[in-house]
Amino acid sequence: MTQTTDTPMVELKGIKKRFGDLEVLKGIDLRVDRGRIISIIGPSGSGKSTLLRSINNLEVIDEGQILLDGVQVNRPDLKGLAFERHINHIRQNMGMVFQHFNLFPHLSTLENVTLAPRKLKGMNAGAARELGMELLERVGLADKARAYPSSLSGGQKQRVAIARALAMQPKVMLFDEATSALDPELVEEVNRVMKGLAEEHMTMLIVTHEMAFARDVSDWAMFMDGGVVVEADTPDKLFSNPDQERTRHFLRKHLGQASPGAAAAG
Amino acid sequence: MEFDFSPVITYFPTLLKGVGVTLLIGLAVAAMSILGGQIVAVISLYTRKVVSWPLRFFIWLFMTTPLLLQLYFLYFGLGELILIPAIVVGILGLGFHYMAYNADIFIATIRSVSSGQYEASRSLGFGHLRTLLYIILPQAFYRALPQLSNNMIIMVKDISVLSAIGIGEMVYVSQYAISVTFRPFEFYITIAVIYYLINLMMEAGQTWIERRAAYRR
Amino acid sequence: MIDITPLLVKAAWVTLDISARALFFGFFIATALVALRTARLPPLRWLARAYISVVRGTPYFVQLLLVFYGGPAIGLRLDPFTCGVVVGAFNIGAYMSEAMRGAIESVDSGQNEASRSLGFGRLATLQHIILPQAAGLMIRSVGVLAIILVKNSSLVSIISVVELTYQAQRLIGSTYKPLEVFTLSALMYIVIIYAVMGLVEFLYRRATRYTFL
Repeated sequence: MTQTTDTPMVELKGIKKRFGDLEVLKGIDLRVDRGRIISIIGPSGSGKSTLLRSINNLEVIDEGQILLDGVQVNRPDLKGLAFERHINHIRQNMGMVFQHFNLFPHLSTLENVTLAPRKLKGMNAGAARELGMELLERVGLADKARAYPSSLSGGQKQRVAIARALAMQPKVMLFDEATSALDPELVEEVNRVMKGLAEEHMTMLIVTHEMAFARDVSDWAMFMDGGVVVEADTPDKLFSNPDQERTRHFLRKHLGQASPGAAAAG
Repeated sequence: MEFDFSPVITYFPTLLKGVGVTLLIGLAVAAMSILGGQIVAVISLYTRKVVSWPLRFFIWLFMTTPLLLQLYFLYFGLGELILIPAIVVGILGLGFHYMAYNADIFIATIRSVSSGQYEASRSLGFGHLRTLLYIILPQAFYRALPQLSNNMIIMVKDISVLSAIGIGEMVYVSQYAISVTFRPFEFYITIAVIYYLINLMMEAGQTWIERRAAYRR
Repeated sequence: MIDITPLLVKAAWVTLDISARALFFGFFIATALVALRTARLPPLRWLARAYISVVRGTPYFVQLLLVFYGGPAIGLRLDPFTCGVVVGAFNIGAYMSEAMRGAIESVDSGQNEASRSLGFGRLATLQHIILPQAAGLMIRSVGVLAIILVKNSSLVSIISVVELTYQAQRLIGSTYKPLEVFTLSALMYIVIIYAVMGLVEFLYRRATRYTFL
């Protein structure tokens, strides 16, 4: 099902989503080429998280089209079990990282990582273990393989969650405010892991409050407010010289808060 | 007053058989009520009202009426319709009773597993059923363990009630010996001691299980 | 064909009677046990703990048989009804003492310190400061035990007290209408249990009227 290299990895066309009377996504378009890293910023309630969750079908969109590597994710034509089978298959190609980690507390760190490849890909225990250890090594937690999530710090939990998502060898990684629930001193270790992925040319969509990190790591930045994309540009342009007043206003309020350089001023 | 425990010693092999039957019933009922309790909880949580409401009703009914009344109903009621051995009636009666109690616990603990767990599993590509099986139920089970083991400790004591429908556990096998030796005090004291020892062991087991399960929650 | 309803109603009354009496006396036994557990003399504390452990660690049913059939061997001769009340009270007393202790211990220890620092004695502190705050939880957990007591009272049918379960069993045998008898007797247990629950809720609201929990 892999398409030619010029097929975008993720493509969103006219995404609309409403919760009751509230329209949270008012027609979003986005094209993410493979290996690209997109940051999505915006105030809370702007729809950025909903957009990311829609790509994984954790929110079901009302209108529009979502394509992953040329394959349509949302399929209004499929019902019940047929859609279940379709979406389970699609989701295996996407890694999702949540704000609150959502590690499985009844499984050890290693088991958290190996569960999906074992049960979904039928990988044997030895191979899964090898893969799991390799991934834990990559996020710097090989020594915690036998530990249970309850004994890990927030930063460690999130690194395990990233390893868990990587275990299915996804085509794209979705980060939903991956560092928002962390104590400030634990943010850096998670950012480092994400940067490592960026250097390996993983396609990533990052919803974040960390302006400095977004600017540093991404190829393209998108500012959302009120369910629309207000402005999208290269990070250098968007963060230092945005065209829109709303973007400027938002950045004035938020720049500095998370960037280490400006922390001293606050 | 003077006590004579020699009849107890004479009949000790019989009594031990009773202990064996008690433990066997205990294991069967524990397996049935824990496994069944999970199934009943899942069905009553994830099916349409036509299925889930009757199930909830039976859970409620088993919890608000006495065990002995339920046993009599099963034994004399069902026993009239089909011929089933008393021991099966006993295991079923006790099994259904504690299945209701365990289901009640599982319903609460399944609900207590956060939606984030469900989403995380679904985002990996697991379907609803596998998410339930690999993620939700194991966590609900660990959370249920303290109350579950309490229930099982109470259940073992309730096995003595099965003597009322003629099942050859400790109390029942002693009754013949008592009728011959006229030593009820000695026999019942012995039974109480045996139950107390079983209880102590189960409490120790409970502590052990608790310690092992605590960090998985 | 005999009419089963009046017979079951009469028997339900015995169930209620025996449970109420056991609860009443059980309350005093529980209070005594709580007091013993905080006694200055260690042997008294050990005694209370051992009693609670043994009662909770053995089946109520076996306790009942032991006292009723084994009692005469130690000069204890009780009629079935009295035996049901006495064993019920001593049994539930052990559980209730744990519930009461739990409720008392749930009150923040700062409350005790604050009261003692004002000059209140141990007992005055308990009466004016601790108990009013523990009352809500205490009432609820005693309520749970009262319901267990009602259900447990069915076991005295074994020593021929003509209460609800005894009557139900006899009627199932004589009328061959198990479903009717079961439905009716189950209904009566349910009515009793819901009455207890209602009473507990009423007392709970009264006891917590002035506390802001």
